This record gives sequence, structure tokens and C-alpha cells, in this order.
Amino acid sequence: MMSDNEKACCGGPGYASPAEAMKAPREKLLYTVALYTGTGIEKPDYLATVDVDPDSPTYSSVIHRCETPNIGDELHHSGWNACSSCHGDDSKSRRYIILPGVRTSNLNIYDTADAKNPVLHKVISGEEIKEKTNLSAPHTVHCLGADIIISMLGDADGNAPGGFLHINEDFEIVGRWENDITGMNYNYDFWYQPRHNMMVSSEWAAPNTFMPGFDLDDVGAGKYGQSIHFWDFEGKKIVKSIDMGAEGMIPLEVRGLHNPESNEGLFAATLSSNVFRWWKTDDGDFEIEKVIDIPTIDVEGFPVPMPSLITDILISMDDKYLYFANWLHGDLRQYDISDIKNPKMTGQVWLGGLLGKAPEVNGVAVQGAPQMIQLSLDGKRLFVTTSLFSTWDNQFYPDMKDKGGQMYIVNCDTENGGMSIEPNFVVDFGKEPNGPSRCHEMRYPGGDVTSDIWM
Amino acid sequence: MAEDVPATYRVTLRNRGDAVIEVGADEPIYDAALAAGYQLPIACAYGGCITCAARMIAGKVRQPKGTALNRRQSQAGYILLCVARPKEDCVIEVGVESHGDLYQNPFAVKRG
Ligand code: FES
Repeated sequence: MMSDNEKACCGGPGYASPAEAMKAPREKLLYTVALYTGTGIEKPDYLATVDVDPDSPTYSSVIHRCETPNIGDELHHSGWNACSSCHGDDSKSRRYIILPGVRTSNLNIYDTADAKNPVLHKVISGEEIKEKTNLSAPHTVHCLGADIIISMLGDADGNAPGGFLHINEDFEIVGRWENDITGMNYNYDFWYQPRHNMMVSSEWAAPNTFMPGFDLDDVGAGKYGQSIHFWDFEGKKIVKSIDMGAEGMIPLEVRGLHNPESNEGLFAATLSSNVFRWWKTDDGDFEIEKVIDIPTIDVEGFPVPMPSLITDILISMDDKYLYFANWLHGDLRQYDISDIKNPKMTGQVWLGGLLGKAPEVNGVAVQGAPQMIQLSLDGKRLFVTTSLFSTWDNQFYPDMKDKGGQMYIVNCDTENGGMSIEPNFVVDFGKEPNGPSRCHEMRYPGGDVTSDIWM
Repeated sequence: MAEDVPATYRVTLRNRGDAVIEVGADEPIYDAALAAGYQLPIACAYGGCITCAARMIAGKVRQPKGTALNRRQSQAGYILLCVARPKEDCVIEVGVESHGDLYQNPFAVKRG
């Protein structure tokens, strides 16, 4: 079953190339996870379908909700069973979305055959994962042909460094993916470039460290990551790790350029609030360099200088623009990366944040600040949600647990650069029927700029 | 164990109408509360993530493998109901509404 937006030439999911993906019809639906974890409402988290079709009478609202079976999952990131890598394989379809619960380690797998109304297909329990692989705290999901791998942030007891869980296309546990994890202190996100036999992985912290909340004493004690790892993808082992020290604290989202021939990309060091470029050299070595540095700001009432906290970054499908969110300062930025060594800022908008620059947007008091972002395939609409992680939300934006998170659209000028908030769209998760919830990562049924990789 | 020591203790949920639940000496308070019909916050269920925190008003508990609380949080009286087993009768305040002093913005705190 193929989603509406996937007009395929070859029967399989996705698109023949990034250029083809950019020509896909405009997205009409969007999925986001919505959470009750840490809100005081003892209900399961859920997958929400949001109507993003401006011609629809229910535009800018949640039109379907599907709960997970258990409370406390903390749905966070998500991924598909198949992407554009299987475009030429008509036995594959982009039909199942995997929603891991970071706190319970449950993998909730939804069937999106009816794109508006996903239904729960299967749950792989956290207990089974812990028992068979000694791993917990699932994070990033990527498919690789018939296989799916998921970065796992801890062992069964929540200690570092975790590893990678391998499941097959029938959603059965195969085991651990990696052959050798030597060199990895912590785990978080990963991106791979199969044509260059490489993978890049980043470091957050042990679940037992980051789940209870962010503590600067833990940073001082070396309990947060500051290294980036380059892998031999076929050999499933790390070939080079780079310790970035104070400039590279808490490297989180890793993105590659979409051109499948490219061997470079960008990642953000969240706490240091720097963006680094990574690349593979002609002689097969791996290098990084800092290309963006967001200064801390002294804020009244805060004795410690406040970092911007770059929590999510992404790259447009044509590899022309970089977007990222500064979750503490409260802005979203667009950079032209035509010259990737010298990104140029071309747009900025403010939404909530601790600097207080935009407390109310489109008639709703913003709880939190720009956090997860997702870009339309044509690069013109950036969707943004405001929640980071329940315990961290409760530290930095304590009102969110009672007022819910929000979703906005930012219109992006892809010709001359520039960003503006769409005035006719806001989904206030403070108004959900079971009470205020937190909205986090978003996916389109037809694939998006953070889901697809071309083998 | 001496025969006059009870195998269960009485745990009072202060902000659930002072409901009293009987909790075995080796039973997590979360499990006993759920069995008594009180759905309290839960997530990792092994003491590592803080979601189930509650505030102790009186009493003592044992928390095997409970690692999620730092010293400040423990001193403020927080315990982890997924692993906390009573050592005596206890009075606790439960749910997210008891989390007022659990979290702080680390950039808002003067560091020594
Ligand atoms: S549920 Fe995670 S510490 Fe109790």
C-alpha cells in the first residue's frame, strides 16, 4: 500500500532520488507523537494525525489519535519500516511506523495503511528487548533494506554505552547489530551513507543520567557525551572517534547531505551550541570542523550563562539550507549551506523561549520553544513542535505539563532565504480531549527530509 | 524475621484522600497502589528515570537499584515508588502534583 504522496516509478516506497522527492505532491497529513508522561495525566502517550491540508475543513487540527497500550512510554523519535532505499523493490511499502518508548523500551509499531487512522500493529516489549539483547532506551530508527536498526542508549539497567538493536521486517528481534562497540562512551543518533560504507553516531548520556533531568554536576562529572564516532558500516565497528572537548558537548542530531553520492553532513553539539561539519576525506579518513557557534547569553535571573541549546537540526532535500532550533533562547534559524564550510544565516523566527521574545504566537501562549522540526519535501514548510523531553521540559518550561505543547508551521523562502510563521496554523496540544499533552517528533506518511536515505 | 514484625506496612497516600494501602515489606509501593486501584506515574520501573517520584512525609523505605534521585532531591524527601519498599508505616504525597521541588532549571541556580 503506497501513501498518496508517493507517486513511484518503480513500485517500491519513496522516490528515485532527492530531486524526485522534492517534486512530490504537497503533504496533507502529518503524524506527531503526543505525550502524557510527566504531565500528571496518567494516560498512555499517543500517535496524533494532524491535518495540514489548507483546503480541508479540519486544517490545523488533530483528526485522529491512537494510544499506545502502556502508560509512561515517553514516545520520542520514530521511523519507517521502509524508505527510498527500497524504491526499486515493489515487494516493499512504507506502511509501518515504529514508535519507541524511551522510558519503557517498548517498540510500538503502527500500521498506516489507512493514512488518516493508523492502528496499533504490534508491540515489542521492553522486557523482551532487555532480556534478549541487554539493551534499553530506544532512540533513532533507520531502515536498511529488509532490516531496521535502532540506537539504544543504555544497557538493561540504564547504564552506558548501550548499542544498536537489529530487528527484521517482520518486527522480530534479530539481536545486536554492531560487531564491536569499542570506543563508544554513550549513544544517541546516527546517520549512514551506504555508498561510502560509513555511519556517524553521536552521544547523549546514560539513561540513568539524562532521564531524571539535566544536572550541570553530571556534566562536570563527565557523564555527558562529547565524542562523535565514525563507523565501518559493513564491518559494524567504529573506525574513528573524535573527542571534541568543551566545544562539542552533547552531540545529538546527526544529518548527512541527501545526495547519496555525498560523504559529508552536519551535526549539532547541543550543550556547546555549535554546529560541526563532518566529512570523509579522499584517503578514507574522517574529519570534523566547527562551522557555526551560537554564543551563550547572560539572562537576568539566571546566574549561569544560558546556552542556546541546539536540540534539532535538519537539511533541506536539495542540500541548500540548514535549519535548527535553539530550545532555550527560543529561535529557529535558516542557513544557506551552498558553501557548507561557510554557512550564512538567511532567516530567523522566534517562538516562546526563555529570552521572552515571543511569548504568544498566533493567539496561543507558547509553552517551551522551537524543538523538533520537520521540513516538507519541497523545502517550503518547516513544521515545529515545542517539547523536548518530559523531565527536561519540567525543568526549563514547567508550565508545559499543565498547558501542553504547540505545533506551528514556518514558511521558508527557498529562493532568497527567509522564514515567517504561517498565521493560519497552530495546533495547541493544550486543548486535547484527555487534557494537555506534549508534542514531539513529526513524520509525513510519504517520507520526509529526516527519514529517507538512498542506498 | 521476628514473629511480631508485620510482613506488611500501612502506606497513606496523603493527596488521594488519605487512602491507606497495605504494602508488603518486599513489594514496591507502586505495585501495591496499582492493585488498590490507584494509577500513579510509572515508566522505566527500575529506579532509573524519576517518573514515579513521590514525596515522603513520614516513614522510611528501602530502594534497591534506585539511582534516579540526586542528593538534593533525596533531601527534599523524594522517593521512587517503582522500587521503594516500606520499612515502616509511611505517609506519602504522590503524582506529578508532588513534584514541585523535584526539578530545577540548572542555569537558574548559583553554583558554588
Ligand atoms: S518509573 Fe522510572 S524511576 Fe520509577
